[in-house]
Amino acid sequence: MSIGDAERDAQRELLETYFRTRDLEVRDQLVAANLRLALHLARRFSNRGVSLDDLEQVASLGLLRAIDRFDPSRGLEFSTFATPTIVGELKRHFRDKGWSVRVPRRVQELHLLLNSLVADLTHQLGRSPTIAELATAARASEEEVLEAMEAAQAYRSASIEGRSAASPDAGEAQLGVDDAGLFQAENRLLVEELLGRLAPREQLLLRLRFYEEMTQQQIAERLGVSQMHVSRLLARCLDDLRRRVESAQNQA
Amino acid sequence: MSNPDDARSDDRDEIRLSLPALFPYGRVARLAVTGLASRNGYSYDDVEDLRIAIGEVFGLLVPEERPDARLQLTCVLLPESLDITAALAPSTPIERITDLSRQILAAVVDDAAIDEADGCIRIVKRLRGGS
Repeated sequence: MSIGDAERDAQRELLETYFRTRDLEVRDQLVAANLRLALHLARRFSNRGVSLDDLEQVASLGLLRAIDRFDPSRGLEFSTFATPTIVGELKRHFRDKGWSVRVPRRVQELHLLLNSLVADLTHQLGRSPTIAELATAARASEEEVLEAMEAAQAYRSASIEGRSAASPDAGEAQLGVDDAGLFQAENRLLVEELLGRLAPREQLLLRLRFYEEMTQQQIAERLGVSQMHVSRLLARCLDDLRRRVESAQNQA
Repeated sequence: MSNPDDARSDDRDEIRLSLPALFPYGRVARLAVTGLASRNGYSYDDVEDLRIAIGEVFGLLVPEERPDARLQLTCVLLPESLDITAALAPSTPIERITDLSRQILAAVVDDAAIDEADGCIRIVKRLRGGS
């Protein structure tokens, strides 16, 4: 993978030009010149349940990021700078996909299927479905459903490594902007009073989310459940809380 | 019926598990208990609650691996509830318990009693009908 001095000088020149001009054609040339590095790194992450195509795309995205962020005045070799950026992007992809290496594909698929089935059946039945009902809907055995639920734990081990790099607003994005409004200063007193009237589980979730300011992913990791489950529970208790806030405001 | 070792009397089944106090068995404990709950028709949400609860109990009783100890779980399956008592053998006091752990347990089960000196935790999850 070594490149000759002439090639290296040419690349340095391109990097400097791009740093100054942000010319997209120059960027394309840089991408082409370094694609091999990105593909090489992508292959290191293959056979982990994500297709090589996807990995190559993610690695290419990492390469683009590295090109954008590279500052030639720091005197680093581009490959030295780009490698951790691309690897970081690949790891983040695994984290967002959420799977550690050990979960069999069948269980992963069932885990993902359950997330949508739970939402559908809860809506249909007007209550949380039983495990037997979920198993029937998923055409799986009850044991398989329980094992797939347990796969949230694998989520946890997969995500710990990249936690510090996690985007701090990941939770907010899931929650929607309305919820921030709910917790604005003018509502805080009212919310605190209403919080006391909620069931303990809802109090816990809201406390972790808004007072401890944990992201949904961090709550999921602490409790050992999937982020999807946390998201669903939070959405439900925020709905409940919003209704109470509104009715309290209407009375005032 | 008077034999206390009867696994079944009337409408209660008693299940006892004795697991090595090692981290990988946390998963076994969770799967076993949720398997019992599922057998009794608990809902997805309640099974998730139980998974959280057993994970918390395991974390409190086995904060570090203890090759010399076993985690004893006694589960009593009643028509309306699942009653679980957990402790280490040999018995070991619970050294560190945070407010958050207490709050988590209070949030996910109907009843939680923690005896720190004896190192014993009892939780009860009731079966909710239809709603």
